[in-house]
Amino acid sequence: MKVTFPHLGSMHIFCKAIAETAGIPYILPPETSRKTLTLGVLHSNECICLPFKMILGNFIEALQMGADTIVMVGSGPPCRLGLYDLVQKVILEDMGLHYRWLTIPPRLSWKALWKNHEETKELRKELSAKNVLFFPYGLWMGWKKMMACEALEKLAMKVRPMELKKGETQKRLKKALSWVDEAKTPKALEEAIREGKPLLQKMEQDHSRIPFRVAIVGELYTVMDPHINRGVEQKLGELGVEVTRTSWFSNHILRSLRKNKADRASERVRFFEASKAYLGYDVGAECNISIGEAILRSEEGYDGIVHLMPFACMPETTASGILTKVGRDRDIPILTIILDEQEIEGRIQTLLEAFVEMLEWKKRAA
Amino acid sequence: MEEKGRIGIPRALMFYRYLPLWRTFFERLGWRVMISDGARQKEKIIYFEDSCLPMKLLVTHAVQLKDKVDHLFIPRLVSIHRTYIMCPKFRGAPDIVRIATEGNLSVIDEMVDLRERGTSLFQSFLKIGEKLGASTQESKRAFREAEKSFSKFQKDWVDRVNQLPAAKLFETDVPLPPVRRKAPFRVAFIGHPYNLFDIDINKDLLALAKSLGMEIITADLLSEKEINREVSDLSKEIYWSSGREIVGSLFHFLSGGVDGVIFLTSFKCGIDALLQEFIKRRLKVRGGSSVPFLILSFDEHTGREGLTTRLEAFRDVVEQGKTDNT
Repeated sequence: MKVTFPHLGSMHIFCKAIAETAGIPYILPPETSRKTLTLGVLHSNECICLPFKMILGNFIEALQMGADTIVMVGSGPPCRLGLYDLVQKVILEDMGLHYRWLTIPPRLSWKALWKNHEETKELRKELSAKNVLFFPYGLWMGWKKMMACEALEKLAMKVRPMELKKGETQKRLKKALSWVDEAKTPKALEEAIREGKPLLQKMEQDHSRIPFRVAIVGELYTVMDPHINRGVEQKLGELGVEVTRTSWFSNHILRSLRKNKADRASERVRFFEASKAYLGYDVGAECNISIGEAILRSEEGYDGIVHLMPFACMPETTASGILTKVGRDRDIPILTIILDEQEIEGRIQTLLEAFVEMLEWKKRAA
Repeated sequence: MEEKGRIGIPRALMFYRYLPLWRTFFERLGWRVMISDGARQKEKIIYFEDSCLPMKLLVTHAVQLKDKVDHLFIPRLVSIHRTYIMCPKFRGAPDIVRIATEGNLSVIDEMVDLRERGTSLFQSFLKIGEKLGASTQESKRAFREAEKSFSKFQKDWVDRVNQLPAAKLFETDVPLPPVRRKAPFRVAFIGHPYNLFDIDINKDLLALAKSLGMEIITADLLSEKEINREVSDLSKEIYWSSGREIVGSLFHFLSGGVDGVIFLTSFKCGIDALLQEFIKRRLKVRGGSSVPFLILSFDEHTGREGLTTRLEAFRDVVEQGKTDNT
């Protein structure tokens, strides 16, 4: 058995940690590249959303490298994400690739657990006692690493607009993340965090700068994965913007575990409530959250909103229509960037530069 | 009865299934129903959001009506089935229209969600009636009559599709012309009802098909059971009611019973894009189908020449298949 999982932001770091700690053999798909995307595009329909193509590309590359078991988080209605597996399975089958599929239930319910039980019947025979015994420990390690990655990334978002040497933050963040990745024991992980944080904090910074504050909202894959959004977060940071986002693994996981009462998840409830001023019903996925977050951020004094969505994304298309109105009503600049497989990194850079310039004019005029 | 005012119904989306029901209900309550004319020309389409063509047309039609009516009827169709849901865009449609019409126009956006226990279409219409100032008794009577005229309409549906031009399909006062001679080819046309019957989307494909000697078969002929049979063994349940109907009826007709199958989609329709890939691949994995299969994807382009060529070629394939088999 060789397990594989798709790329999404820094997810590979902690998925790897789970497999490694539990001693389960795994294959990490190569870092998402132009080739990955080309593979995904070639084997899907033009109007299917970009995350589908990226994930499909990851799977194809991993299976070609010898992986045989795909682990994927399941999802449900109403958007297309919930049927990714149905379609990806038949595409892989048609391509003659062999795989087994393991769904991680998106919400804990008896039905989901039963399905999981059915799917793992065969797989469990291949697991050793050690694998099973160490699995909870692996999950714990994975969770710790996830939190470490998120803490480092959040720190990077904070210091990036202050950096004196452009690109320095990104370099240091990569290094710190690789330390987290390499840590094999809880002790080593602690050390990685202890050294990683100052690496970013102690970087040469210009503390006199007052950065713009911009919130990134939108569909979660496009917000969380720098390959999909061509590094919007980093680009904005390097243009002197302090970026905030609420799409983090921990938030989404806590939400699906129905730990909504935790402070972080309840922010989502606030966003949802705020969206009701414009939207009479839950459209699904992040649509209402995107709108609600834009509204509340404008009240919190943010300078602008960047809205990311994949081309033809069903819920976010609705959101983008409404966000135009939100921007007008609340006098907050909103930039919607629609992402697809086109090579648009240069265009995104230009768009963001223009956006930041506009923020500057707005500030001067005020 | 004295006219209470005007209610506008945009000629878009589920208009293409439910108009007779909606219209009768409002008319029985004493309202005059105004229906938008249609875009007909590409320049008239309003690009309010970067959505699929059917959604853009909804906005276009709504804007066309906004100064002529007292209320605009755009129900929030979350689910029109006990178990399955509509496309998520339908959930935000009334809000999008409200913003696009930029005024204080009243939009009747009563929610229809039949998934929840104890809900029914009747209840949604009771609430609509209430909003329009009708008593429960009046609404009840109007709804009963609406249902009656709708089921009568549905009974003639297959004949209407084949014998009336698309523009007159939903004009209930147009009587059915006498049956013409039988068309030589039976071809199934599958897709969302608005893709099938909105001539702004499909450039009046059905008229073209009829002129080429095709009898139009639609999924309306199939029972839910027949559709379920085709999709019950999937590794995951398709949760959109329209998507289920499309996949189920495509597999049903591709396994025989008709001379050809045509699948109509709109560019940027999320559901169709995903399921189209699924259908193609699954068909391939299962060894293909002997029934000729054509997928037509529509967007704002208005030229019909390409469409004509493809449909003529398809007719030739169908004809060839038919002579080979006999």
